[in-house]
Amino acid sequence: MAVSDAPYRASPPRARRAGPNPVWLAVAGAVICAAPLIAVAALAVFGGWTDYFEHIARTRLTTYVVNTLLVGATAAVIAGAGGTLAAWMVARYRFFGRGAYEWLLALPLAMPAYAAAYGWYDLTSAAGPLSFLPTVRGPFGAGLIFGLTFYPYVYLLAREAFAGQSVEAYDAARTLGCGPRSAFTRAALPLARPAIAAGLALVVMEALADFGTVVHLGAPTLSVGLMRAWAGEGSLPDAARLALILVSIAFVIFFLERLMRRRARQSASSGRRRPPQRVALSAPLSALAAILCAVPILAGLVIPLARLGWRAMHAPVARGLGEAAWNTVLLSGLSGMIAAGLGLSFAYALRTRRRRAAFAARLAGLGYAVPGAVAAVGVLGLLGWVQGGLDDVWRAATGGPFPVLLTGGIIALVFAYQSRFVAAAIGPSESALSRVTPTLDHAARSLGAKPMEVAWRVHWPLISSGAALAGLLVFVEVMKELPATMILRPFNFNTLAVTAHNYAHDERLGEAALPALVLVLIALGPMIWIARRITRTEAARREAEADLAERTGAGWQ
Amino acid sequence: MTTQSLQVDGAEVRFSPGTAAIRDVRLTLTPGKVTALLGPSGSGKSTLLRAIAGLERLHGGMIGFGGEAWSGQGAHLAPEKRRCGVVFQDYALFPHLTAEKNVAFGLRSGSRREKQTAAMEGLARVELTHRAHAYPHELSGGEQQRVALARALAPRPAVMLLDEPFSGLDRRLRAELRETTIAALRAAGTAALIVTHDADEAMAVADEIALMASGTIIQTGAPDRLYLEPVSETAARLLGDMEAFDATVAAGEALTALGALPAPGFAEGAKVRVLVRPEGIVVSGGPDGLEAEVLNRRPSGGHVKLDLRLPDGRTAQARAAITDTHASGDRVRLTMDPRFARVVAF
Repeated sequence: MAVSDAPYRASPPRARRAGPNPVWLAVAGAVICAAPLIAVAALAVFGGWTDYFEHIARTRLTTYVVNTLLVGATAAVIAGAGGTLAAWMVARYRFFGRGAYEWLLALPLAMPAYAAAYGWYDLTSAAGPLSFLPTVRGPFGAGLIFGLTFYPYVYLLAREAFAGQSVEAYDAARTLGCGPRSAFTRAALPLARPAIAAGLALVVMEALADFGTVVHLGAPTLSVGLMRAWAGEGSLPDAARLALILVSIAFVIFFLERLMRRRARQSASSGRRRPPQRVALSAPLSALAAILCAVPILAGLVIPLARLGWRAMHAPVARGLGEAAWNTVLLSGLSGMIAAGLGLSFAYALRTRRRRAAFAARLAGLGYAVPGAVAAVGVLGLLGWVQGGLDDVWRAATGGPFPVLLTGGIIALVFAYQSRFVAAAIGPSESALSRVTPTLDHAARSLGAKPMEVAWRVHWPLISSGAALAGLLVFVEVMKELPATMILRPFNFNTLAVTAHNYAHDERLGEAALPALVLVLIALGPMIWIARRITRTEAARREAEADLAERTGAGWQ
Repeated sequence: MTTQSLQVDGAEVRFSPGTAAIRDVRLTLTPGKVTALLGPSGSGKSTLLRAIAGLERLHGGMIGFGGEAWSGQGAHLAPEKRRCGVVFQDYALFPHLTAEKNVAFGLRSGSRREKQTAAMEGLARVELTHRAHAYPHELSGGEQQRVALARALAPRPAVMLLDEPFSGLDRRLRAELRETTIAALRAAGTAALIVTHDADEAMAVADEIALMASGTIIQTGAPDRLYLEPVSETAARLLGDMEAFDATVAAGEALTALGALPAPGFAEGAKVRVLVRPEGIVVSGGPDGLEAEVLNRRPSGGHVKLDLRLPDGRTAQARAAITDTHASGDRVRLTMDPRFARVVAF
């Protein structure tokens, strides 16, 4: 007999969270992420006006904007349809190769869109072996390429939504007279819609941020305009003005996504969660499903990769390839490690449940909506001001200008990368740290462990693979990144992405192929690990949830 | 084995200025004895437990063990130095360690082999040696609870603290685990504090019960004494059902509708409350007593519960033998068994 009718509380009213408390580090990280964007805005407003922007506005701005919207919309349609369909099949049906497809379908994320564009354009152009197909070019061609390389964002989020969805909604629809197809569109799909929308937002933001693909396929978007303003005219304020337009479009999408995600949280928590049993498909249907699932992997990864390989075999080896590969791994590795560290400090800061920490994380999350070129322009502006300030101080003291330290260095590059990608590191770190409940800390302390000992005997084993996931995600992203690298790289400092782009830009696709190929091959290893791990932990979590619901009956409440 | 006891004296913890989660708490835990800390949700039980474990700092009063000051007067011994074994409500097993490694976590001295042996002995005490290499997520709820118990006992703590250790388990398993747990605690001979909001559980496991309400301990004593001699209405209600009647003291007795009860120590004319357990409301066979109407008859175990309407309109509950045949609508006469009644201040 219970003494009180008060609702039973599972945790103490105020669970103190032990462990590191790096709120200040998270705030610093958030400032790093937000500073370039603020600099862009300041540059756009206060920077000197030339007639270049007026010229752009009268001539090419409409093309840029229309292309941007067309490319984004095409990418969204293709990635949305393909990613959702693949997710539904993998989550709900049993067919030949399903287990492998589950993670294989995520691998095109290792393929930079521009590399896929080189391959597909080469294949379908007049001289290519697939010239009977329409040539992949223009805004629709670019949208197609983005759809093929970024659909895994939709696939991963939709798969989780479908797999975690209670099967009862679908079953209820069936008993209410819906056929399988209409049960899918009327019950399953609406429940997964917020997840799909979130994936689509990522696809579109990536498409907006791209530079290499749209240049190669002749669909200049705002990113291209921005790069031309900076590289062709040397006008940072004008680049910033174009950047501001680009960022506004990205932010609209970003906030729509946040809105969707909030709704997703509400819809996820209702009803008893019984994970669906996968339906076994008959042999012919099973074969069909296997073929359908192979299509995006072939089109997004294997076919363009094979073409690049064939090209590379028939062309001279690009000069400086080894150095470029080394630079790429070094930059990406450094950025990945820094991002993993920052991601962890964000996660620890969020764990304190301070409002300041939540604000910092949200601010850092904005970074993902900031295209690389915009972040780079912001970093240039920012560091330029710092340099200018130092010059003044230095000149007053010594009479000469301050040595060039900050702009155009590795530091500037890493700065821009963090600003754009740290958001990707926060999620995995946070979900890893969520396994470390406050009582684990307390249990360890009561068993005689000192705080530092708790950190390495309890926290680290539980969060290390989450931190690795965060670091590797950023590693892959930075490897693929092109526009920010082009703007900020030091003189004579080349990465694989820049090398490939430069050759492709000179119509020397043969020499562009090998660096692109090496880039994908390096990215593929971490990507396989990431894809398998996400798949595994997701399944384990669902199993644990179902198990818990079964054992405690909590699922009925 | 130690013969020193844990003393909590005037302990106070505040979460925000002005509102104390616990205040003026006095409690002694004796080696070899199991004390149950019973109170409703939000009464401060867990906070007190956490304060003893060193997971909360005191804002007043002190906690000490033997001659050693643990908390208070500016001192705060770190949790890892207190030799408090804690079984958390969610068990807090380390998910990355096997059952055996969990139990070995707190073992400080000895070689790896010695630690392993000690951990296996700990698992043997809770009959889980066959699950030594299982990870927490592979264990059932009851097994997890037993691993948590073995883990807390392994470093031979001076005090064992258990926070609602049976709350996540189903009824049958709960009874079984209670036995195992109490046996293990007695074998270890430590002072033990079990936090619970379940009065039956407290009575079943404890040598002594401390009743907690609104952040303070209102009564401490053996389970049967607490049941029969509550110091207040709140204390009485914490341990079970009861009826309360207003009365005035006249000629050393509190006079109620059910009869008079000696009220020693109360002034003449004082307003008092008379608390009667359901067992003390007796359906008399004779013509004496208060007339009441039976509203409902519910068999429960070896007896029946009768819901009654008293002449003043209020309802009360009586307990009678299962052989009692009164049905809904019957009129009965009630008397009071003074052994189940108690006079407390208004």
